[in-house]
Amino acid sequence: MKKLLAVVLAVAMLLGMVSIASADDVQEITWMFWDDLEASSDLITQGFKQVIDRFNADYAGKYHVTPITTQLEPYYTDLNALVDAQKTPDVFIVSPGPNLTDYVAPGIAAPLDEYLEADGWKDTFAGDAVFAQQTYDGKIYAIPLNTAAACVFYNREIFDAAGATVPTTYTELLDACEKIKAYGKTPITISAGTAWCLSMLAGYLCDREGVDLKALNANEASWVNEKTIAAGEKLVELSQYFQETAAGDSNDDATTALYMEDAAILIQGSWAIGQMNGGNPDFEAKCGVFQFPAIEGGNDPNRVIAKSDSLAMSSTTKYPEACIALMKYFTDDIAQKYTAEVGGKIPVTKVEYDADKAPAQLADVMKIFGAASATFGFYNESLVSSDAGSYFDDQMVAMFQKEKTPEQAFQAVQDWYQDYFAKQAEKAE
Amino acid sequence: MTAVTAKAKIKESKPKVKTSTVLIYILFAILVVLYIAPIVWIGITSLKTRPEIYKDPFGLPTVLQWENYSFAWNAGKLGTAMLNSLFVCVVTLFFTMMFGSMSAFAIGRMKWKLSGAAMMYILIGMMIPVHCVLIPLFVRFAGVGLDNNLWGLILPYLTFSLPTCVYIMTGFFRNIPNELLESACIDGCSIYRTFGSICLPLSRTGLFVTGLMTFIGNWNELLLAMVFIHDDTRKTLPVAVTKFVSPYQTNYEKMFPAILIAIIPSIIVYSLFSNQIVDGLTQGAVKG
Amino acid sequence: MEKLLKNKTAIILFMAPTLILFTAILLVPIATSFYYSLCDYDKATRAYSFIGFDNFSKLLKDPIFWISIKNSLFFLVFSCVSQLIFGLLYAALLTNIKKGRNFFKNTIYMPCVLSSAALGLLWAFVFHAKVGINTLLAGIGIKGPGWLYDIKGFITLPMWVIAFVALWQYVGQSMMLYMAQISGINKSLYEASYIDGATKTKAFWYITLPLIKPMVGTAMSLNAIGSLKFFDLIYSMLGDKTTNLKMDVLATFLYRSGFSSKGGNHYGYASAIGVVLVALCLISTFVINKVFKTENYEM
Repeated sequence: MKKLLAVVLAVAMLLGMVSIASADDVQEITWMFWDDLEASSDLITQGFKQVIDRFNADYAGKYHVTPITTQLEPYYTDLNALVDAQKTPDVFIVSPGPNLTDYVAPGIAAPLDEYLEADGWKDTFAGDAVFAQQTYDGKIYAIPLNTAAACVFYNREIFDAAGATVPTTYTELLDACEKIKAYGKTPITISAGTAWCLSMLAGYLCDREGVDLKALNANEASWVNEKTIAAGEKLVELSQYFQETAAGDSNDDATTALYMEDAAILIQGSWAIGQMNGGNPDFEAKCGVFQFPAIEGGNDPNRVIAKSDSLAMSSTTKYPEACIALMKYFTDDIAQKYTAEVGGKIPVTKVEYDADKAPAQLADVMKIFGAASATFGFYNESLVSSDAGSYFDDQMVAMFQKEKTPEQAFQAVQDWYQDYFAKQAEKAE
Repeated sequence: MTAVTAKAKIKESKPKVKTSTVLIYILFAILVVLYIAPIVWIGITSLKTRPEIYKDPFGLPTVLQWENYSFAWNAGKLGTAMLNSLFVCVVTLFFTMMFGSMSAFAIGRMKWKLSGAAMMYILIGMMIPVHCVLIPLFVRFAGVGLDNNLWGLILPYLTFSLPTCVYIMTGFFRNIPNELLESACIDGCSIYRTFGSICLPLSRTGLFVTGLMTFIGNWNELLLAMVFIHDDTRKTLPVAVTKFVSPYQTNYEKMFPAILIAIIPSIIVYSLFSNQIVDGLTQGAVKG
Repeated sequence: MEKLLKNKTAIILFMAPTLILFTAILLVPIATSFYYSLCDYDKATRAYSFIGFDNFSKLLKDPIFWISIKNSLFFLVFSCVSQLIFGLLYAALLTNIKKGRNFFKNTIYMPCVLSSAALGLLWAFVFHAKVGINTLLAGIGIKGPGWLYDIKGFITLPMWVIAFVALWQYVGQSMMLYMAQISGINKSLYEASYIDGATKTKAFWYITLPLIKPMVGTAMSLNAIGSLKFFDLIYSMLGDKTTNLKMDVLATFLYRSGFSSKGGNHYGYASAIGVVLVALCLISTFVINKVFKTENYEM
């Protein structure tokens, strides 16, 4: 037995050594992403895989990119571990907001203006506004790849059968839910267990009430005020229309409930379109989209939550030209057309895509997006830090679970903020 | 059967079936179902399509979706993952047994003052949870280029497998009769020969048990593998299985084939060697 | 022979690899970890700054910490008690039957060798709100509870569910150890007791139990440490919902503080949790050994 083991060991070591291939003059870069390119059924991910394959094929012998993939959960941790180990990926995906700030502030992400100006790359984009969340001190630090807007998806058939009409105000929404409940279907399906989903709803309610996030983040207002509490109370009020298993359902389960026609309404980002239509092809024809309702006496109802995946480049990369070339592939016409036509997300460039090929819901989403007066980010990505976002999420879930009243929940957020500002003041000394 | 009934059985030729025995059999039959049913169910589910899973979770699939398996195998790179796991586990196994039995021999049979302290040092290692050393190890390894490298996994696996090996092997070595060692000494063996040619073969069972426990423990290890390895081509099997949980949705129908592919080899190996495992545990437990 | 066994070079040679590995891969990182627990890790500057015991005082004030202690202790107690009862019960019953004993034994032991992560995903599906057991129950008219998301009560339902799954997976190990010990008991002891008129139950109580006491200590120590380190099963079954569902244990809390993208990268804080974990492991092992310390009876 020992001899066998020795042989196996020798062979294994040999194989190990052989696998250390030597690189030629090909410029090797790495690209980090938060989903597995092979195993995922997410359409956008599959689109990205095509981009990588195209890039490697077109630039064979000159550039080569190796994807580093993780799961979504540990993405930033893994990324940070690599940064700490001085092995920052050359190009990596990142969400705008505090997450991006984490890499801009310490100089990990490189400014990209000079590359954007050259070759008219910047002009291919839909406008300067797409860079709003990626600009710091007038410099652009990341390239947006696509935009998704959070809207309300609904099942037209169930609405008609229940006698419900598309709501434009919160009261009308409650009314529609009542009718659907009486009809026997679950009015709203949502994943209350996945904190960001619930917090997306909370964000909309807060914004519609007129909560001033800028003031809060500048420590010029308190989280405990009538607007936030009103928003919180509405969230609790709406929760009576959630599906019974809301607390335990994953995002996946909640979306499935919609396209399996168990529930009528889903508040989600347009990234879910691909999932819905893929899960049930019959659903596309029945699915309508409406903008998140206004709150009477509240804020501008044409504000839309939008999120864009962005690519940043490491400031310590050895091959910036290769990186930029890769980034350009993500924003070229082929990739952007795919984003719209197959992925169902909103492209960031001026590309012309075939609206007929695109999922039916996308047209509705584009209408809402086009009519939007302004976009704002997910609340949990727009606070003072990403930790603040997580804390906010958890408080919203606690509020939904009726562990805390809205006052208590927002007071907790306020306490957290005060703590944070105090620490910042200490550090400044 | 108790001694009394056994004797009774020899006297009469008609064995009576006691009610207690029947009850015992019923209990264990239920237990067996409880243990096998979930795996069988996942097997059935792994052959369904997505809508089928939601609409009819307990029924049989209409068409056996064998493509789920080929997709899981290819997309999850399960073949590569298995090879990686195999490489890591075999190498860890080899070194664990080598270093572990050496130390067990030194602690168990050789005479030196600090042997007790050394044993304590090693046993305390058994109690350290992996999570505590995760961060420092990662940073340190990254500094020397061991991150994203299978050897970076082997070293910690080896270290964490050593205490069990030493513990078990010490028991086995201590049970070797003194006379054997003395006669070897008289024959002029060096201590190394005594160790290698006499004690090791005698403790074959111990080596076997340790080997199995080490291999299985490391085959299933998830946390270190998740944190240390990023390269798709270097991921081990447990990590590969978790790949099917995407940011926005869980691929149940692709995940279950992966799960089954991951655990069926373990089941097969286990079924083949289960009796040895039991014998080894018995001896090791009673003597240790 | 004495000289042979005192050969200093041999001793050093034999012990060196193990000791070097231990020091490099366990001791030094643990020490570093202890140091980190006394520091604050700033995500932006990626620097550790010494802050004394602040992390620990923060821990004591953190409600999630107390929840994870409560849960970890629950698993500890549940695991030790249930594995003792069921492991012993199965072992005792199995030694009484001949046919099929191996089959039953192997089936019950099998999950021990399977990956906890895979099993976790499997059982998460069984207890899934929509497509698991609840469907079966609905078929006979019972409305199944929220197995994995009901947060009512001091010990929530998901806790019992996960504890049950852990028992399912590991009872085989305890059972094996007890069977090994029982089979080592000299049969003549039993025969003598039956001649004296003892019933099987009495024999079990007065002969078997005391003689397997050392094994109970071993098995329980394994249970205790295993349940304190518990991570794979919970993580696969609940994912990142552990905190919202009040289901954290020390290991998931550590993982979340250190490695999760949601509020992670607090290496100082996570290291402090690690220190608590190690301390608990040491304490419980010490206590268990004290309780079950017996002399070795002549068997």
